[in-house]
Amino acid sequence: MTQNLDLTDIQGNIVKAYGSSGFFKARYLFLRVDDGDKGRDFVGAITSKVTSANEKLKGDDALTVTTNMAFTYAGLQALELPTASLVGFPSDFVMGMSKRKDILGDDGPSDPKYWDKIWQEKVHIWISINGKTSDVVEERYQWILQQIKATGGVTLLRGHCGEDGNGNAVDDLPYQDASVLYEKDGVTPTAKEHFGYTDGIGDPVFDGQTNNAARVIGRGKLTRSGDWVPLATGEFILGHVDEAMEYPQTAPRPDLLSNNGTYMVYRKLHENVGTFNKFLDEQSKDYPGGKELLAAKFSGRWRDNGAPLVHTPDNESKAEWDKKFAAADDATQKRMLTDFTYNEDISGAKCPFSAHTRRINPRGSLEYGVKDAFHTPGALVDRRRILRRGLPYGKVKDETSDKGNHGIIFMALNADIKRQFEFVQQQWINYANDFKQGNDKEVLLGNHSSKDPGKVVLQVEPGSGKPPHFVNNIPRLVETRGGDYFFIPSIGALKLIAGGLVDPT
Amino acid sequence: MSNIAGKAYAMNVITPIPWYKVWLNRLIFWAALKIPNVLNGLLTLSLIHYARWVIIPRDKFPRLDPSQPKEDLNYSYMLFFSNFNGSWDQYVDSFTFAIPSGLDLFWKMNVKYPKSVPLTPFHNYIQHNQIDTAHYYNAYPMAASNDVKSAKNVKKALIDFNAASSNKSPDEFLEDYNKLLNQLQNDFGEMRPTPIVSLAAQAVKERVMEEQRQSH
Ligand code: HEM
Repeated sequence: MTQNLDLTDIQGNIVKAYGSSGFFKARYLFLRVDDGDKGRDFVGAITSKVTSANEKLKGDDALTVTTNMAFTYAGLQALELPTASLVGFPSDFVMGMSKRKDILGDDGPSDPKYWDKIWQEKVHIWISINGKTSDVVEERYQWILQQIKATGGVTLLRGHCGEDGNGNAVDDLPYQDASVLYEKDGVTPTAKEHFGYTDGIGDPVFDGQTNNAARVIGRGKLTRSGDWVPLATGEFILGHVDEAMEYPQTAPRPDLLSNNGTYMVYRKLHENVGTFNKFLDEQSKDYPGGKELLAAKFSGRWRDNGAPLVHTPDNESKAEWDKKFAAADDATQKRMLTDFTYNEDISGAKCPFSAHTRRINPRGSLEYGVKDAFHTPGALVDRRRILRRGLPYGKVKDETSDKGNHGIIFMALNADIKRQFEFVQQQWINYANDFKQGNDKEVLLGNHSSKDPGKVVLQVEPGSGKPPHFVNNIPRLVETRGGDYFFIPSIGALKLIAGGLVDPT
Repeated sequence: MSNIAGKAYAMNVITPIPWYKVWLNRLIFWAALKIPNVLNGLLTLSLIHYARWVIIPRDKFPRLDPSQPKEDLNYSYMLFFSNFNGSWDQYVDSFTFAIPSGLDLFWKMNVKYPKSVPLTPFHNYIQHNQIDTAHYYNAYPMAASNDVKSAKNVKKALIDFNAASSNKSPDEFLEDYNKLLNQLQNDFGEMRPTPIVSLAAQAVKERVMEEQRQSH
């Protein structure tokens, strides 16, 4: 670790994913600022409980509940930031997510006109509560409601789709609930999402985040010598040098406003579970490796335990891997899950070019085996990384139906939304030139159209004489149901905003 | 006007270079073409359709007609001309990160060239010296260079397959056909319109199309 970050200034959700520290429950609140003065008082009141990256999340005397806060551009306007500061924000953030729909491929059922009602409102403030139990989340929620009452000047916005206390579908909830999924017993937490995949394994590591070298393997950036080193802090936190050896250009003035802050993409992604199950059943009928291998080909990892396909390309190697995995200690298990690159599989025969994880983090494989083609193997990848901080939401009641409210609250953190999140969404999920697959979209997340469904090719060993497998008629498996772009200020900046003290001169 | 047509973006950059350093730059170009692997990075960047660097000596600036007066120039100029996939930002990002030393080598004799990393000074340098495209025709708006390469592979392989296998028995034919699919497995990407990389460019395109509709 070469960087010493000011962890007391950085909001806690930036440096750690709460979900992996036992915070299994979350609630996301969205507010409108009606009065600048009072709104700033409200921000000040919440700031007193905002969780920094310095707080203890695990062990004795650890926190049981966290709170974080972020703003849309309209929110910063409503809080009356000076124009000279406002003009320093990047245009993607200024526009917000719904106006970027053509870039993001939010068309058809993902079009903003079908989003949860709340996204028709003026969303200004985002507040998250993550807790170890539902009770502590509720308690913190009540505390926030008290602050709203006490200061006035802000309105908690209703309009999330979900279920009321009796399990009836409603569309006017005052918050978005999220939670890890549980085993059938209802009490054992899992790392699953609604399609049955094991999630939450791969997340970038940046300089200053950890001094545990083992955590960097398969998560940092790949060097020419084949080692993994942490990414530059400035890829994820403003005010720090980024991979281009400069300070992020997306930072507004003054530095005190932007330093130690970052941008967040919030997206409510509905999972069409019925369609997914039907599609997987139908497609696997004539897939030689069977259903689970096919499911793994869609994601790049096996559903049951997240085994990377690159090391488990067929049922035999998977069985062997499983045996080793079961016998391994915790550190070895983590390593088995993350220590691989797609350079071990340049042809895509093991993990196809359409797989979610390969598309989204090609792990230094875009040189296609050409020796020393680029400055570093990760030249085209290292500036496209994102931190994931989301959780699943809702429950699947009927495995054969798409109806209901269930999916992933996807939150991505990055220093430059356009260069990182939007690029990945547009160029790698919904397009494939960088993977030499034309317009073939990623299977799971692509904005496939029902009128003109897509296909992908599952590569096989070149020269084997075997034909590749074609996956046809891919339906829209994931739909966008809402979201926006937010600025997560440092805790110091929150105090400046609350005090009306931001001065760019 | 737009620098974008279909999947291609056209970039023209013209930068001054002291006339007495031109020979050095020519030497560098010559060496880059002679020494194997120097251009590997550029060739591996599959978003690039085409890239060319040309030096225009200060007394050789093209004139439309002999009657056009000759310009009296202090510098010679290097013209960089490239067509690529995606937006300007995306390209400049990829370009600088993939082949920073190559770019520095080609441009280093040029006046006020800042080096390619850090990015922003390079970005500004290119933008300052870029000449926008007034007219841009693209015969295959849905094709990126990878699509063209794939289409050529498929065409050739199919013709060969037809010649070699069309009279074989069904079993042998199937075996050959599977081999053909295997050989072409990375050439089957769909060719469809470009993802929208620039909302401004998209808005221009839609307005132009609307005008065309109305004038019909
Ligand atoms: C409902 C939608 C989604 C589902 C079901 C899903 C599922 C998964 C799964 C199963 C994994 C593998 C486990 C892991 O490596 O942690 C994964 C990894 C990942 N996903 Fe998603 N995902 C979704 C949406 C997204 C979106 C929208 C993005 C970004 C645009 C994204 C970015 C990533 C990244 C960066 C990784 C880690 C890849 C790596 O570093 O190897 N995911 N996702």
